[in-house]
Amino acid sequence: MIEFRDVGKRFADGTVGLESLSLTAREGEITVLVGPSGCGKTTSLRTVNRMVEPTSGSVHLAGQDVAEADPALLRRGIGYVIQQAGLFPHRRVIDNVATVPVLQGLPRREARARAAEVLERVGLDGAMAQRWPAQLSGGQQQRVGVARALAGDAPVLLMDEPFSAVDPVVRVELQDELLRLQADLGKTILFVTHDIDEAIRLGDRVAVLRVGGRLAQFAPPDELLAAPVDDFVSGFVGRDRGYRRLGFVPATALRLVDLPTRADENGSSGVPGEWTVLLDGAERPAAWLGPDGARHDLGSVYVTDGADAASDGAGTLRGALDAALSSPAGRGVAVDGAGRYRGGVDTDDVLALLDRGAP
Amino acid sequence: MRAFGYEIDELVVDHVLLAVVPVLLGLVIALPLGWWAHRSRGARRVLVPLSGALYTIPSLALIVFIPVLLATPILSPLNVLVTLTIYAVALLVRSVAEALDSVSDTVTTAAVAVGYRPTGLLLGVQLPLAVPVLTAGVRVASVTTFSMVTVGALVGVQSLGTLMTDGFQQDYTAMVVTGIVGSIALAFVFDALWLGLGRSLTPWSRARAGV
Ligand SMILES: Nc1ncnc2c1ncn2[C@@H]1O[C@H](COP(=O)(O)OP(=O)(O)OP(=O)(O)O)[C@@H](O)[C@H]1O
Ligand SMILES: [Mg+2]
Repeated sequence: MIEFRDVGKRFADGTVGLESLSLTAREGEITVLVGPSGCGKTTSLRTVNRMVEPTSGSVHLAGQDVAEADPALLRRGIGYVIQQAGLFPHRRVIDNVATVPVLQGLPRREARARAAEVLERVGLDGAMAQRWPAQLSGGQQQRVGVARALAGDAPVLLMDEPFSAVDPVVRVELQDELLRLQADLGKTILFVTHDIDEAIRLGDRVAVLRVGGRLAQFAPPDELLAAPVDDFVSGFVGRDRGYRRLGFVPATALRLVDLPTRADENGSSGVPGEWTVLLDGAERPAAWLGPDGARHDLGSVYVTDGADAASDGAGTLRGALDAALSSPAGRGVAVDGAGRYRGGVDTDDVLALLDRGAP
Repeated sequence: MRAFGYEIDELVVDHVLLAVVPVLLGLVIALPLGWWAHRSRGARRVLVPLSGALYTIPSLALIVFIPVLLATPILSPLNVLVTLTIYAVALLVRSVAEALDSVSDTVTTAAVAVGYRPTGLLLGVQLPLAVPVLTAGVRVASVTTFSMVTVGALVGVQSLGTLMTDGFQQDYTAMVVTGIVGSIALAFVFDALWLGLGRSLTPWSRARAGV
């Protein structure tokens, strides 16, 4: 648990980085700090590992005031990941990751063994271990940055816009990876971003900050989307917040409809005058067959279960709506967690659910 | 090997010692000073101009003054060693500061964040990463020192410079040329050695994406 108690920071030149921040990041959760540039996100993160000393208030880690800890020892017990990864260019990947265990006093061999384990955890194969950081892509460097932060077995991670320098596709991959790791490891993570989508995707709770580190709202993502406290927050979460919120609404009440299906074989013809789903040998939908007999792309499919956060929109109204709207047939295709055909999603049914409940 | 009435090998050894020792000593002294200049704006504002000013003192004046200051015999090679060390320090303080400046802030921030203390940070991260820029500074200091060693011959301290001064007095051109070519050749050899040392310490600097 990380506890900010009325933390204020006035820099030597008089700039107020933080006015008075009070906030608790719960044990085993991802707490996201989001807000415009210069609002004090980095500053608040750095008060936790004493890279910034507060000028008022205090920060407590597992009940202990960090001001009483030896800074270097404190930092070896807190993982820290930054935007540009900040890898040591003169150390091979494995030795970058082994840095903290070595600082903690582990013999180099054991530190390397530990580093190899962690590299595997973050999805980097053994061949990468002997490379120099300059020989990695941005996304790979970021993974190594995460591995280095995990290698010391710290219960707490500070992440300062760790994924904002990589392209959007890789960013989503890294976010998924983090959620997967977090499901295993249950770290207490303080995550800084200025991307509200990232905040909503990753955060168990999200703190929206204004300039001066003033807390505008601190709530779970769905609450933030459903009930922004003021114009600043609603402006920040964006106009499409209603749609995005559907990503948190389970579609349990949605009844799937039956669609005509055929095995996807050479020359298979559909039901005359109807849109037909072609299934491959493993019962997985492959394509639509139009009433005119031409093949069409499936569009996005609605995954009914396996609601792990990695498959976006699984089991939620947003996933169902996406599938219905992106299908050429006017009805979406639903599949189970293994990708097998389950049924169809009717646009009218989804809209009716929205009308009725919009919980 | 004897030539022109001198043991050339001995002259070469003297020349190398008089040039290499000041560069090494200069580096040892310049490291903490340069680190200080890197850390503190105030220190930099004093140290960098001061070391520049040292460099403007004529070498002969220093060589002649050192015995007065240190009470060394006038013909002692120590006078030349001390003089050349002062010049090496003058050149290297700035190089060390700039070499440390060249290390990216992101990397030093990351090093602090993982829990390095200041000494570990300097020895384990900053200095290794400063080697490419530092090597360039050391090479300049080395070449400069090799050519300045010859000035010692004017006050009777032996080096390849002795061939120049004596050859000049005896109006013996081949002897002068041998001295000049020899000292240039030595400077080149040691320049190559420093370059090689710098490279062998920085295999990472030649790594590129996709290699
Ligand atoms: N060392 C410093 N000296 C003076 N002012 C500083 C210092 N560090 C940060 N500030 C100021 O404090 C405020 C908060 O900075 P901080 O870096 O915490 O913002 P941020 O929310 O992380 O912004 P960004 O999204 O751009 O990274 C800014 O106005 C910044 O200019
Ligand atoms: Mg920041």
